Amino acid sequence: MLMLAIMLVLSACSGGGNGGNKEKNTDNKGNKDSGGAKTLSIMWWGPDARHEATKKALDIYTQQNSNITFKPEFMAWDAFWQKLPTLAASKSITDVLQMDAAYIHEYVSRGQLEDLSDLDLNGIVDPNVIDNLQIDGKLYGIPLSQNAQGIAFNKTELDQYGIPHPHKDWTYDEFFQWARDARAKLPDGKYPIGDTTTWDSFNYYQTSMGKSPIMSDGGKTFTLDKDLFMTFYQTYEQFRKDKIVPPAEKAAAFLENDPQADPMASGVVMTRGATTGSVSALEQLMPGKVGVVNMPVGPAGGGWAQSTIFLSVSANSKNKDEAKRFVKWFITDKEAGKALGLTRGIPINPDIYKELEPNLEAKDKLGKELYDLSVDKALPFYSPAAGFSEWVDMYKKEMEAVTFGQQSIEAAYNKIDKMGKELAAKAGSK
Amino acid sequence: MAATANTASGNEIEKKKSGGNRKKKGAHHIAGYVFISPWLIGFLLLTLWPIAQSFYLSFTEYSLLEDPVWTGTDNYTKIFTNDTTFTKSLSVTFMFVLFSVPLKLFFSLMVALALNKNVRGMNLYRTAIYFPSLIGGSIAVAALWRNMFGIDGYINQVLAWFGIEGIGWISNPDTSLGTLILLNTWQFGSTMVIFLAGLKQVPQELYESASVDGAGKVRKFISITLPMLSPVMFFNLVLGIIGSFQTFTSAFIITKGGPINSTYMYAMFLYEKAFKHYQMGYASALAWILLTIVALLTIINFAASRYWVFYESDGGKPK
Repeated sequence: MLMLAIMLVLSACSGGGNGGNKEKNTDNKGNKDSGGAKTLSIMWWGPDARHEATKKALDIYTQQNSNITFKPEFMAWDAFWQKLPTLAASKSITDVLQMDAAYIHEYVSRGQLEDLSDLDLNGIVDPNVIDNLQIDGKLYGIPLSQNAQGIAFNKTELDQYGIPHPHKDWTYDEFFQWARDARAKLPDGKYPIGDTTTWDSFNYYQTSMGKSPIMSDGGKTFTLDKDLFMTFYQTYEQFRKDKIVPPAEKAAAFLENDPQADPMASGVVMTRGATTGSVSALEQLMPGKVGVVNMPVGPAGGGWAQSTIFLSVSANSKNKDEAKRFVKWFITDKEAGKALGLTRGIPINPDIYKELEPNLEAKDKLGKELYDLSVDKALPFYSPAAGFSEWVDMYKKEMEAVTFGQQSIEAAYNKIDKMGKELAAKAGSK
Repeated sequence: MAATANTASGNEIEKKKSGGNRKKKGAHHIAGYVFISPWLIGFLLLTLWPIAQSFYLSFTEYSLLEDPVWTGTDNYTKIFTNDTTFTKSLSVTFMFVLFSVPLKLFFSLMVALALNKNVRGMNLYRTAIYFPSLIGGSIAVAALWRNMFGIDGYINQVLAWFGIEGIGWISNPDTSLGTLILLNTWQFGSTMVIFLAGLKQVPQELYESASVDGAGKVRKFISITLPMLSPVMFFNLVLGIIGSFQTFTSAFIITKGGPINSTYMYAMFLYEKAFKHYQMGYASALAWILLTIVALLTIINFAASRYWVFYESDGGKPK
């Protein structure tokens, strides 16, 4: 307890601990005129393959620019987002950092990221992509890759039980009917689709029906369509009764990408959500068995297909020019492109992707396939608005209580709607 | 006999020491502080100052990304009047403490009694039984627990031999907290070692004279072992309560606080507020509330101890 209290405060005061970093930067400033050596700090999240590939790319940059060396820090997703706020609080975010679409608004709104609009990305990144990524007319992150959300399915077992594969642009009605039909053909203990308790699944549904996203306007507008909410979750309630989705107790024990506990790799559920960036991990757990299809669509479309991983530069960096030059190089240099491969999804630069294409592995092709299937019906990527992280957790817990039969859908709706509106009012008053 | 003699001479040494210090008072003050300065500086800068800071932060709204904003007692008001998660996590934690502390005390005392015998190879048994506590609240233990109590875990496989269909002990909101209490009980090693040391201190002649008076095993346990062990038991109780209130790792790794908050321990709530939702001010207020609760319970414990804890040096009677 005491330790926790100390930890809290230590993190608050971590400015002192990172002093070393700052000193180094000041040293560098002194050398600036003489074009002396510089150290760029850089931080990213990801799996081991990405760490190795990125370190290799950094070495290549140092070979090409002998005055630049790197101080890399890399970790898993959770650790990254725990560390970043403490660095931000002490104004010691690394010179270059990986950014995600789910968080970039929060960091931009707090002035932590440098405007990169003046970088010339002509011929490297599709101008439409850049337009899409601008926040208040400015670009705060260089897109690294194309990513898309879709659904992976166990094609081997579907064939085995004589269930047709889902087809591109299936509607939500078709998706639900497919699940009902598949139930009839599957043996006990196997389920066609997984249950859902997270906000994003319902947000896909709501937006595909042409309604506005749950959070819009930077979190100032909150829209939770009650009719759609009731329809969506009543469908799943019936599915639980008909064993079309696994029982809540089983669902709570699933752990994605765990060889034994992954809902799909364990052979229990026939489908699950997957992205271009993540489907390769699933394919490695069950080689040759994974097929992909885009998200179910409604009148407005469905799913998303766009860049969600960026490189940004810290607004407090002392090496902004060097950092900007580096981030541009990162998506331009062919040699770097080869070293990085598809460790961050499909490279945003078409030239680099063309070079890699002939040698793609099956797991990488799957990601590309998912992207191609999703792109024409895709809706924008909706991330939680700044300040809504707690609401995201609360949504999941309230819906879990529904799946365990501890509360009604309507009761969950009321609580989720109330908190969302409160947060929106708070965001509006700022 | 030997034990009593030792204590007596120990007391004399203590007295001499303190007397000596009193004489040298003043002269060596500065030297003393210089000698303890490495600790003192560490304590002031890395412990006391952060604690003071967290007290200040508990009256602010602080997202880490922006400067703290003074909000008075807003955090505390919200916690006490309008935060169902606070009530839930507090009640989960109280349940955990209520069950795991007595269970662990009882279990470790039984094991200590079993290990307090003169049998060949006793050291080997002691090591083997203490071993699980060495691996502590680690990730490996959490993984082990998942494999045991998971829906396809070993427990359910064993139950299946008897035709019983098990449930997902960890993923069922009714039983998940129970599995964590069991885990905490299973890690009885350090408590057990302290009990064992206590048992070794009980003078053999008490048992001998009781035997002469015709006391049986149960009688000896109730009238000699338990009273003689009461200071050790008190120590274990206080530490057990404090430790249980801070339980974090097992809930964080095994159940992630779920399903539906059924294992959402207070420490985990506090952690998520701070490092997931970036509400440092709120989290600091939660930390101070926890400190207050634990302090109050400890005071109550000490107050109650006079009625049941027995110190030989006090002349053999609880006050």
